Amino acid sequence: MSRVIVIASGKGGVGKTTTTANLGMALAKRGRKVVVVDADFGLRNLDLLLGLEGRIVYTAVEVLAGECRLEQALVRDKRQNNLALLPAAQNRMKDAVTPDQMKQLIGALTGKFHYILVDCPAGIEHGFQNAIAAAKEAIIVTTPEIAAVRDADRVVGLLEANGVRRIRLIVNRLKPAMVAANEMMSVEDVRELLAVSLIGVVPDDEQAIVSTNRGKPLVLAEELSPAGRAFDNITRRLEGEKIPFIDWSAPPDNFFTRLRKILTSKII
Amino acid sequence: MSILLEYSPHPIEQFTRSGEFYRHPIRRSLFSNLHTDPGSTYSIHPNLKNIHLKEPPFSPHPTLELDIISSVQAPQFCMTTDSSASSESTAPKEPSLEARSPEEQTPDPPEVKTLDRHLQVRFKSDGERLLLLLPPETAKQDSAGGLTWTELSQQLQHRLNGGDRFWQPNTTVHLMAVDRLLDQRQLQEIAEILNREQLQLDRVTTCRRQTAVAAVTAGYSVEQQSRQETLQQAVQNQAQALTEPLYLQTTVRSGVEIRHPGTIAIVGDVNPGGSVIADGDILVWGRLRGLAHAGAAGNSGCMIMALQMEPTQLRIAQAVARAPANPPSQYYPEVAYETPQGIRITRASDFSKTQMLLGSKRAGHNL
Repeated sequence: MSRVIVIASGKGGVGKTTTTANLGMALAKRGRKVVVVDADFGLRNLDLLLGLEGRIVYTAVEVLAGECRLEQALVRDKRQNNLALLPAAQNRMKDAVTPDQMKQLIGALTGKFHYILVDCPAGIEHGFQNAIAAAKEAIIVTTPEIAAVRDADRVVGLLEANGVRRIRLIVNRLKPAMVAANEMMSVEDVRELLAVSLIGVVPDDEQAIVSTNRGKPLVLAEELSPAGRAFDNITRRLEGEKIPFIDWSAPPDNFFTRLRKILTSKII
Repeated sequence: MSILLEYSPHPIEQFTRSGEFYRHPIRRSLFSNLHTDPGSTYSIHPNLKNIHLKEPPFSPHPTLELDIISSVQAPQFCMTTDSSASSESTAPKEPSLEARSPEEQTPDPPEVKTLDRHLQVRFKSDGERLLLLLPPETAKQDSAGGLTWTELSQQLQHRLNGGDRFWQPNTTVHLMAVDRLLDQRQLQEIAEILNREQLQLDRVTTCRRQTAVAAVTAGYSVEQQSRQETLQQAVQNQAQALTEPLYLQTTVRSGVEIRHPGTIAIVGDVNPGGSVIADGDILVWGRLRGLAHAGAAGNSGCMIMALQMEPTQLRIAQAVARAPANPPSQYYPEVAYETPQGIRITRASDFSKTQMLLGSKRAGHNL
């Protein structure tokens, strides 16, 4: 039976799509059959982050309209054969699809994949209702900011109201140095407010931007960056492994750490 | 000793904590959701509790030292029900909660606006079965009321999540749809939601023909009432005592509003952005960080109790207070109650003494 997991946040720009891309890729790397579904109709990005933009022929809307078969719309990833993308239509709006149609789509995908990851659009309107329609599990992505956490709280409430019970939390873009200086909410603050179980903490990482621009998820790097490591750990926790949380608190900035930084950074 | 605040840059008074000293913030919490404003600080008497014990609580008292550093042409307070406050102006932001003079408030026939209030799904146990009461649709014209179907089903789910310990599996549910129009799909959805909690829908009471037809088609037994009857029931309800308390074990999250024409007890947190509105008292066994309105029908004797009182706003009957700019470093279980000076907060451990001195709950208003 496939696990249908929706990745939601409420607020935009906190890293839903990046999380979806990385978790999808990492699960595929571990030999799972994964399909990532872009539910952000009209503002699709997931294909960019996966570097699959050029290979989209059909989208979910065409599948629903009966213009093509579901298999035709699925875009296989060349690097990881286990990963497929069901792209959203870019030229349509969010109300082009109804929650029932979304259920239908996901229903057609179940059984063929181990994981179905649904990338949810920002907001709590129509697109959100579509995205969560078929989900059984949810991953909430939030950054340690008051607005993001507030929106995440709202989204958790809505998910619960829609019968999604298994909700887990990713705190994204944590800046340990700022937390240490009491300038940023700590993971504990966020977790205590949202009262859902934590599945991972992803530190702020410049590599994330690089990977987005290159269309190559962080987890594909030969040597994982901190965020890539965090996503890898989250994947393993999703699979049921017990992985201790990495303590991201900033190492003291002394001579040795600076030296190590110089030695490990690549010279371009 | 209580404090009278006469000028403030805010239209809404901050509530005061007894027995604590707030003068100079050492650390302003970064993450409190309180709308702090720079520059305005005030101090209160540090030892309020003791003075309360020695003096009659509402004797004329001097205004305590009060240093407001911000702008002087600020408007005066409006949310206080104190007769000595300079004027009873209306808060521009809270039109529905304008302060009434104490004389007006003393007699207690609260205007019960049943129609724009309590438009929420409710469960009521009735012997072996459970009654599921849907809010009437008649209030739809009302700007505040009128639930859409989505909101209604979400509310139902919230209530079920919050109270699922309290009924046996396979309890039968009697749906009181009143004048709400439900089609077959919606009835089915209600049944599904109930089913998930192992509750069985078996009977529908309605005064709408279409709903009755849909329910019969779906195979439920139907009881059809005439519309007048239900309207009269609503009128009768107004004069009755508060409904049985609502007990919920849940987190009240941002965007969720719990309304109940009685006392509400919540085991869990009330998060910022969430609100709890009761005609009776409000008890929060957890952190209260959102909005709480006790005595919403006008009973100023109602109280708000929380293990950790850090609300965005408190309302008791017609009084409104926001949290002080500088939250205390440590929280204790506290009780908020209304005095002629506005809303006050006392540690729960001290509260019984204060309350004893108050004598009757409404004594203060007779001053």
